[in-house]
Amino acid sequence: MIFDVIFRNIHLLLSGLGVTFQIFILAWIGSFLLGIGLGVLRLSSRKAIYWPVTIYIQTMRSIPLILVIFGFYLLLPIITGKSMPSLVSAVISFIVFEAVYFAEIVRGGIQSVRKNLIDAGYSTGLSYFQVMTFIILPQAIKNMIPSIVTQSVVVFQDTALAYVIGVKEFLRITTLVNVREVRSIELYLFAALVYFCICSFGSLLARRMEKRYGG
Amino acid sequence: MLNYTFDWSVIWRHPYGGWLLEGILITIQLSILAWGIALFLGVIIASLRNLPQKWVKAVAAAYVETFRNIPLLVQLFFWYFAAPELLPYSARQWLYQNIEPTTLSYYTAIISLSLFTSSRIAEHARSGFSSIPKGQYLAAFSTGLNTLQVYRYVIIPYTIRVFIPPLTTEFVTIFKNSALAMTLGVTETTFMSQRIDSYTFHGLEATIGAMVIYLLISLSVSGLMGFVERFLYIPGLIRKR
Amino acid sequence: MSKNNTIIEIKGLNHWYGNFHVLKEINLETRRSSCVVICGPSGSGKSTLLRCINGLEVFKEGDVIINGKSVSQCFHNHKELYKLRSKFGMVFQHFELYPHMRVLDNITLAPRRVLCLSKNEAEKSAMALLEKVGILEQAYKYPANLSGGQQQRVAIARALAMNPDILLFDEPTSALDPEMIRDVLKVMADLAKEGMTMLVVTHEMGFANAVADEIVFMEEGNIIEHDDAVTFFKCPKSNRAVEFVDRILVHI
Repeated sequence: MIFDVIFRNIHLLLSGLGVTFQIFILAWIGSFLLGIGLGVLRLSSRKAIYWPVTIYIQTMRSIPLILVIFGFYLLLPIITGKSMPSLVSAVISFIVFEAVYFAEIVRGGIQSVRKNLIDAGYSTGLSYFQVMTFIILPQAIKNMIPSIVTQSVVVFQDTALAYVIGVKEFLRITTLVNVREVRSIELYLFAALVYFCICSFGSLLARRMEKRYGG
Repeated sequence: MLNYTFDWSVIWRHPYGGWLLEGILITIQLSILAWGIALFLGVIIASLRNLPQKWVKAVAAAYVETFRNIPLLVQLFFWYFAAPELLPYSARQWLYQNIEPTTLSYYTAIISLSLFTSSRIAEHARSGFSSIPKGQYLAAFSTGLNTLQVYRYVIIPYTIRVFIPPLTTEFVTIFKNSALAMTLGVTETTFMSQRIDSYTFHGLEATIGAMVIYLLISLSVSGLMGFVERFLYIPGLIRKR
Repeated sequence: MSKNNTIIEIKGLNHWYGNFHVLKEINLETRRSSCVVICGPSGSGKSTLLRCINGLEVFKEGDVIINGKSVSQCFHNHKELYKLRSKFGMVFQHFELYPHMRVLDNITLAPRRVLCLSKNEAEKSAMALLEKVGILEQAYKYPANLSGGQQQRVAIARALAMNPDILLFDEPTSALDPEMIRDVLKVMADLAKEGMTMLVVTHEMGFANAVADEIVFMEEGNIIEHDDAVTFFKCPKSNRAVEFVDRILVHI
């Protein structure tokens, strides 16, 4: 094995990694925000809100991400009437798909706050808004953080799927370099190692937090 | 809005309907085979992590970390494109001459899916074991049961119940993950839907059709496992979902 | 004569958890059919002592003699150890019923698997025991569907099912609501009256006063005081016991 193929193409590989991070950050922010909204809405007692949100969440959880990516890639040009950069299409797919998983975490986090604690807040005369801000959310967020970090690692891993619609992210660049250099062992090992380092850092972080916050 | 007329018949029209059916069959085969192997490997790995020998524990932990922290797609590519290169020249020659490329990609997909899923199952099995209160062992031993009986009648039945719900989730997940096998040219459901796209330019309908197929598979798998869970249901142990 | 009447004899028992010395040179003799209450602040080694007596804890020094039989001898022979444990019944703070078995199966597991009773025999005597502890109607339910007090009475029935020579209670009422404590204590008092040998770790001083023959007071792994119940409550010898009894009685 001669790893000089990595050094020769490092600028290319790094640019791919840059695109991967770009997708990750956009997808993360978008899906997290959408996820909070969906999570809170799913706790609504109004049927007209609860059911559509629940159906949306359950549907997304049942289908493969790769199909969602293909779906938007085919759908967006039809809706907008012009061709869309595949990166935009991929990011939209990630947001729509991953938000559902964040929503479940948010819902679980809010539900994990003990009912008595909420009643204790009301009993001292706090309003709904105050109970939400000072009692429920701080507790809920504390409970949610390890799961959020774990899910973020999943989102990062999933960004590799942008490959299938030709986004020039890390994995696609790796295969492109391989086409030119034909050094598959070194290149795919390198790609695996890079993903491994980033993801195990995230997993480690999640485990630390779980210990600190008592799971 | 671009001028686009939907043609839903690409889902059932000859030959496309047949393609999708074939795809479904392969999706199911692939998933069940990989799930079986993953369950077997995962339970072994989890048991290894419970052994007292430090180095065995470390190896098992490294296994879990490796296969969990690398995207499945990267693992697929590694086993398909890179791993054969590690073989000696003659072995590689034999492999490429005697095994059809489609068979090769099919088995590569099974191996990758099993390894990836086994690491996740190992984690669930481990937390299943550690969720048993120490008092259960004490109570069982205090009545004079021997070690084998304690495990057979108390600890293992308990573990299975705790272990089943995450196992259900993994089973649903493996059907979704099997879609990635399309990138190696395995002719499963997702692959077929995109093949229909390239033949008819009505990929959106085919894609939505494939989504519905996965939705139905998920629903049936959850239903089936729900039945198993009800069969094993014990108040207070498995939370109703 | 007193020797014949001794059922448990603890001689120079020492035990450590790592560097922590949990039990320090414990000596204790218990007569057949007596009810001994072991009390003391938490972390004083009471529960560990109970677990050493039925060999759940492999103690490091000293010995426990049950009916003339050495527990430490059993540590090298697992068959003997299992046989020894089957002579004890043990009741835990958190019940430790097997959640995947119905009440009846919880009780019959050991009689069927250790004593090799038939299913019918085991269930018949289990039903009799359930009647005795006053929850016959719960036989076919799962533990999670029972109240804490009911669960603890099932646990007592499970312990009795092996026809034990000795019952060990490890804080049996600490996890219960007050109104349920009474039911459980009632069952325990009845057992004591019938002449069951009982070692009870508890903070229920009312129970100790009314039922116990002897009181053992422990602190930091030592037995500070060992008296008959009347003496212990009327005029305890050690200051620590006085303080402890005062605090607990005030608390009640």
